[in-house]
Amino acid sequence: MALVSVSLLSVTSVFGRPASVPQAASRTVALAARSEVPRNGTIRGRVELRKVPTPVERRPAVAELGSPGARDLPDLLRSVVYLESAPRGAFETNEGGHAIMDQRNETFVPHILAITTGTTVDFPNTDKFYHNVFSLSKTKRFDLGRYAAGGSRSVVFDRPGIVRVFCDIHTHMSAFILVFSHPFFALTDADGRYHIDNVPPGTYSVVAWHEGTATDPKSATIADADAELDFTIR
Amino acid sequence: MNRATAAISLIGLCFACPPARAQVLPSEPVTFGDGRVTLGGDISATYGSEDPGFFNYTDYEHSALRTLRIDVSASVNAGDHVSVLAELRTENFDNFLPYALYVRYRPWSDRDVSVSVGRVPPTFGAYPRRSYGADNPLIGYPLGYQYLTSIRPDALPANADELLRKRGNGWLVRYSIGDPAFAPGVPLASAFRWDTGVQFHAGNDIVRGTMAVTTGTLANPLFTDDNDGRQFAGRVELRPMPGLIVGGSLSRGLFPTTDAVRAAIAKGARDGSFTQSAWGTDVEYSAGYLLMRFESIASRWRLPIVDPIAADLPVSSVSTSVEGRYKILPGLYVAARVDRLVFSDLAGTTQTLPWDANVGRIEIGAGLSLQRNVLLKTSYQHNSRDGGTLPHVENLGAVQVVYWF
Repeated sequence: MALVSVSLLSVTSVFGRPASVPQAASRTVALAARSEVPRNGTIRGRVELRKVPTPVERRPAVAELGSPGARDLPDLLRSVVYLESAPRGAFETNEGGHAIMDQRNETFVPHILAITTGTTVDFPNTDKFYHNVFSLSKTKRFDLGRYAAGGSRSVVFDRPGIVRVFCDIHTHMSAFILVFSHPFFALTDADGRYHIDNVPPGTYSVVAWHEGTATDPKSATIADADAELDFTIR
Repeated sequence: MNRATAAISLIGLCFACPPARAQVLPSEPVTFGDGRVTLGGDISATYGSEDPGFFNYTDYEHSALRTLRIDVSASVNAGDHVSVLAELRTENFDNFLPYALYVRYRPWSDRDVSVSVGRVPPTFGAYPRRSYGADNPLIGYPLGYQYLTSIRPDALPANADELLRKRGNGWLVRYSIGDPAFAPGVPLASAFRWDTGVQFHAGNDIVRGTMAVTTGTLANPLFTDDNDGRQFAGRVELRPMPGLIVGGSLSRGLFPTTDAVRAAIAKGARDGSFTQSAWGTDVEYSAGYLLMRFESIASRWRLPIVDPIAADLPVSSVSTSVEGRYKILPGLYVAARVDRLVFSDLAGTTQTLPWDANVGRIEIGAGLSLQRNVLLKTSYQHNSRDGGTLPHVENLGAVQVVYWF
């Protein structure tokens, strides 16, 4: 939890900050003067998780009659890699799309959602019973109330930051929504691999984030070639 | 500064730290042993008005409005079919007692069928499953589960007049037959002690049924038997649609202790089956930001009174409780509960009165989530009682901090 709080603050403060990348700007000018059109590149690599956290268990249901049924477990292998500072102009193209975070067999699916500001996230309930999605995060505070299978509620995320999402009925259900003010981020696959495409030439600070823990920034330069950047999260 | 005040201050300090600093206490269940052992906890610290009318006492020494309650619960999974569940509880650090301790066997891991043996959760009613601070939207408890009537299992009135003289004195009462010491009476159903025995449960998405055979009774759950009697209890729960739960419960068991019955018979009471029988109905409905609950308990006691007027026995009581909660903002709700506890008439030598003083309570309150697992509640109660020697009307306020993991 401590790590969540720390990263929440640090990421919130940088998610919305326009890049101050003099290296990128000067390089772009220099290349333009030589009539060479710099091409955008890709930052790719792998995030290694030294320790994969175990899913949150149900609270001991000592007072309940009978035992709870089986539930799905959240996918805790995914990380998010993002540019701590984005190229100028990256903030002008955010139109805000749609994303979905399902509630399925007492689990939020996906467990981590990375979106840009202005995105509307739908929270459908595909279980037979009620869920009650809520967040008390500073970035977005909301409570969707109780609704049944087939129902859905939506939330527009208009500020960058990290939003921790919970269910008020099933305390073991939780998820993360990372809201960026630029499009330069990527979710890792099951092997930890990621790629951030279409990054304009320049030098950037890149951070990997996993379950509330953010790495120290690493520097990546997009010039004539793509950049390769690996992270380890302990 | 008393214990409850100190606890509120401590919990407040733990969570008043800036978000960027480390949180002192866990926010999720603690697991170890490769996930086989899970620990959870509930801590609630309550400080409220003095209660000279004993409207909120759960026994002679503990007012629900001035209590530090600590629950630590654990589940140990010994394979796919067997688990051990336990809960330790203390109120105001007086005792740290095994509130629950039982083994649950599930013959099929994919079906909700189980047999539990030990100090098992109450079969009867809906409230015992939400008596924890975070599940109770208000601070007070429903009267049927908390208010101490003037009946005791170990001491008995000799006649109707003696019982009528004790109206409103359930907080500390004594009778001429059985244990001569002062002690608190019992509520209709105890939410603060669990019974010991065997419980069978089966259910699916729509219907759930539970039956139990235990040593005590609804009003007086026991760890060790005191009358060689067994209580039979059952509950059926219907969930016809999401958000709607309709429950029905019943129980019947020998109520007075063997010693008290022997003393009464020695003084001329007729031998017989002296039982507590109870019926309960409950309904929960929720949708959107609204949660409504209704619960009613009807209880009937057959007591070995030496000089009874036959038409007036058994004595009975009915509690009715309606509560609602509405979330007005993320992390903020308002709630209210209306409670009534009424007793059957009993004819004494000179007058006919309810055998205990009827009680009513209206409680309104609000809850603010300081963070997901830290809740600050406040409530205001108007209590009234139709008799007895203690104050008949009390207006009480309280604040409560609840922390759980």
